[in-house]
Amino acid sequence: MIKIENLEKVYKTEEIETTALNGINMHVKTGEFVSIMGPSGCGKSTLLNVMGLLDKPESGSYKFLETELLSMNDKQRSNFRKQNMGFVFQNFNLIDELTVFENIELPLIYNKVPATERKRLVNEIIERMNIVNRSGHFPQQLSGGQQQRVAVARALVTKPKLVLADEPTGNLDSSHGNEVMELLCELNEQGTTIVMVTHSSHDASFSNRIINLKDGHVISEKINKSRTEELI
Amino acid sequence: MFKLNFKIALRNLWKNKTASLINISGLAIGLASCLLLLLYVSYEWNFNKQLKDEANVYQIMINFDGPAGSISGTGPRTPNTVGPALQQSYTSVKAMSRIDDGDSRLIANGRNSFKKRGRFADAGILKIFDYHFISGDQKTALDAPNNVVLTESTAKLLFGTADVLNRSVRFEDKVNLKITGVIKDLPDNTSLQLDYLMPWTLFEGMYEWTKRPAWTNYSWTTLVTLSPDADPDLLNNSIKGIIKKHVSDATSSPMLFPFSKLHLYGEFTEGKSTGGGIEQLRLFMGLAIGILLIACINFMNMATAKSEKRAKEVGIKKTIGATRGSLISQFLMESLVLTLCSAVMSIVLVEVFLPLFNNLLGIKMNIVYANPYLWISLIGIVLFTGVVAGSYPAFYLSSFNPLQVLRKRTPSRGILSVSLRQVLVVVQFSFAVILIIATTVIYKQIQYLKNKPAGYQMNELVELAQDGQLEGKFELLKERLMQSGAIEGICQLSGSMAMYNSNFWGMEWPGSNETERHMVFSQMATTYDFVKTTGLKLVEGRDFSRQFPSDSAAVMLSVSAVKQMNLVNPVGKIVKYQGDNCTVVGVFEDFVWNAPSQKQDPMVVAFRKQQGGYITMRLNSANPASANLAVIERIVKDINPAYPVEFKFVDALYAEKLKSQKILGLLSNVFGGLAIFISCLGLFGLAAYSAEQRTKEIGVRKVLGASVASLMQLLSLNFLKMVVLSIIIAIPVATYVMDNWLKKFDFHTTVSWLMIAMAAAGTITIALLTVSYQAYKAAKANPVDALKYE
Repeated sequence: MIKIENLEKVYKTEEIETTALNGINMHVKTGEFVSIMGPSGCGKSTLLNVMGLLDKPESGSYKFLETELLSMNDKQRSNFRKQNMGFVFQNFNLIDELTVFENIELPLIYNKVPATERKRLVNEIIERMNIVNRSGHFPQQLSGGQQQRVAVARALVTKPKLVLADEPTGNLDSSHGNEVMELLCELNEQGTTIVMVTHSSHDASFSNRIINLKDGHVISEKINKSRTEELI
Repeated sequence: MFKLNFKIALRNLWKNKTASLINISGLAIGLASCLLLLLYVSYEWNFNKQLKDEANVYQIMINFDGPAGSISGTGPRTPNTVGPALQQSYTSVKAMSRIDDGDSRLIANGRNSFKKRGRFADAGILKIFDYHFISGDQKTALDAPNNVVLTESTAKLLFGTADVLNRSVRFEDKVNLKITGVIKDLPDNTSLQLDYLMPWTLFEGMYEWTKRPAWTNYSWTTLVTLSPDADPDLLNNSIKGIIKKHVSDATSSPMLFPFSKLHLYGEFTEGKSTGGGIEQLRLFMGLAIGILLIACINFMNMATAKSEKRAKEVGIKKTIGATRGSLISQFLMESLVLTLCSAVMSIVLVEVFLPLFNNLLGIKMNIVYANPYLWISLIGIVLFTGVVAGSYPAFYLSSFNPLQVLRKRTPSRGILSVSLRQVLVVVQFSFAVILIIATTVIYKQIQYLKNKPAGYQMNELVELAQDGQLEGKFELLKERLMQSGAIEGICQLSGSMAMYNSNFWGMEWPGSNETERHMVFSQMATTYDFVKTTGLKLVEGRDFSRQFPSDSAAVMLSVSAVKQMNLVNPVGKIVKYQGDNCTVVGVFEDFVWNAPSQKQDPMVVAFRKQQGGYITMRLNSANPASANLAVIERIVKDINPAYPVEFKFVDALYAEKLKSQKILGLLSNVFGGLAIFISCLGLFGLAAYSAEQRTKEIGVRKVLGASVASLMQLLSLNFLKMVVLSIIIAIPVATYVMDNWLKKFDFHTTVSWLMIAMAAAGTITIALLTVSYQAYKAAKANPVDALKYE
């Protein structure tokens, strides 16, 4: 599904240049659940942002289902993003002024889905996420775990081909964290491709494959046998 | 999407109630001020524009020759001959009317008698003005000499009904007139006000002298309507010599000037209009736009300040797939919704304050909701304000990079964004400070003019028109009034003490040369007791007196007249006044007869029994004024029963002279105050946001031991710097502008440093109070709350 070659990204300030990605090569297959791990500052979030078209690398190639994405302009990127990708963030990033229902509905609105269809899709996912009785609440009225479930629901409501998760359990306690991880696994089993950045090897153990980064390089890859077998 | 954006906007409003209130009400006050001022501007702008054929109506002006082919002055009054002559010789003159001054004259229905403004005019006036006839025939209403046209309210006053066609009224207790028309009352913003209208032929019939062709007696207003294809410039060239053709030594020539422009462009130099009221109007328009901009700046500042909180929303939306365009339209819509709320609120405010405003200005304006221009301009202002106020936040917020926003909670606190906000605050406060200084200077100038000695004792001085029997029986009146003890002095005058009303030239005196004979003097005719009654200051000689029978041919001169005539030992000299040889018996100190801000013309006060018109009395200060007036009224009524007795206090008339400065002072006071208020509202909001943003910093500092005072200083200093900068910018601008304004007056005060210092100190104090309230709140807060905020 994803093929990344020689990806380079450099952050420049007036005094120093920091190489965040230094010739990354990797691929993700359709239906895979990939974790990206590494110490702080190794470039894993940058990589995820590039994959999510939120950031532009200096050079390299990024193909998504054979389409080269890096040559797209802003508008094309934005369109591609909303049609193919869903995001889950560490700090949930829900809009405080919107209810759970409205938060989940928002990407559908941007994808110009008709109102009745929107209602059906949102209700469906709310049910699936087990937050039916929360749909009229505002984010501040929910626990962290519930908020993250709403965020996951929002990421999934457009049925994206790829879900990008940036430390989805980082702000949660372990029991809530596990809940979210199980949710992601379940989604993956139903066919959604997931790329997740994490610090926690416990979380990573839920994925098929773990890619380790250091100083902008891929230093190792490990296939998680127990999960991969299931995939095969 | 619209609905959702709308919801976000509303919930945001609700969540930040104080900020929203500041935003909406600030803008509403700004809009309301702007609307009120524009209403006044349009009132003035539409002055005299209610004519049928407004663009083709011209007033005949008279240019007076100065030395060497120049034009020394331009006056609005014409001889009684120019209008008819033009109508006869030029086919392009479609209608013409001479109109008299419209004095208060007696009109009676049986015992109901009133002094109301009656005007004489040629029948052509009905073709020129678009009077709305309720009854009667517009074409023929003024055709016979004994016709009269009443306004609706005059008819109701006299008869209790407007249905009075063909009934009769008695005019000046002399003639019966037949009512041939009733017209709707005239709008307030028309200069030729009247309560009833009579034919010029009646005027000529009643007052013989008005009938004689007098080519150099400039007493009447003359209006003409030209045919649309006429070229006024061409016509002006052609009519120039018309007076000189008839009177060989005449020094004047007529000129057509658009009637509707005269109100705002009524100042002339060298026979060319050089402005007038329009300057004040431009000032008010500037003020209106300025206040609106101040309010818009508030709005923009608050929105950008808030942006740091909205940034997350923008980031999420962009990640999920919002385009920049959709975000721009969202923020613009938000600002338009707010502006709309403010507009509604502002209309309410205008409605509430319009009566007060009218009262202050002494005019009658109202909002005509059926007027499409009102709606067009209102919608225009709302759109303009909404877009201007919303554009910066819209484009600024939508440009956020989602990644940056989501990663750090605050977007780059870019140098640009902060400094633009600071620039806006500085602009806002500079404007406010300029207004404060301007207001103080105007106030000081008005006080200066008000306190400038008038040159006579105007307190207790009362005027009465010398109507009917009061003319023939003046001596009897004088005797009885003096006996009654109600007055200390009384004299007959040809004009009001409070209002410049007559001038002449052609005076000759020992040693005067040809050019000096063109010198313009103001003149007043009187009999005995002029100085005693008015309280003028005699410098030399004496008042007119019965002890000197020769005083029947005597004059008094003002000090500046003596000076300009180069007379040494003036008393006893013989001068030629209006063709008669007169002895100078006294010299008096100049008194303020025209505008108090202007130099007074040299003046001649002549002894002329036949030229009355006004009776001026000094009330006996030993009795209460009301008791004096009651006695006087009884005696006057006894001698002159047909006329109502209407007193006018000279000091009140004098105060009228300062009206236009007063309006200016009043408007700049009110709106200057509002500008400051709105600016402070903005500052208050900004300070609140700044304190909120730095909550964590404040918490940490407090934990580390910072005192409340040091924290307040930390929070207030930035704002204070901006205000000080504004003051530094504003002072030279204000000083320059107001110095120029003051130069227009012959007598004027100065812009003093004390005033500027006070304005600066006042602004700083208000700003400091505004900011420090927020700073104090933030500094006093429990530090744990601040840290938990994370």
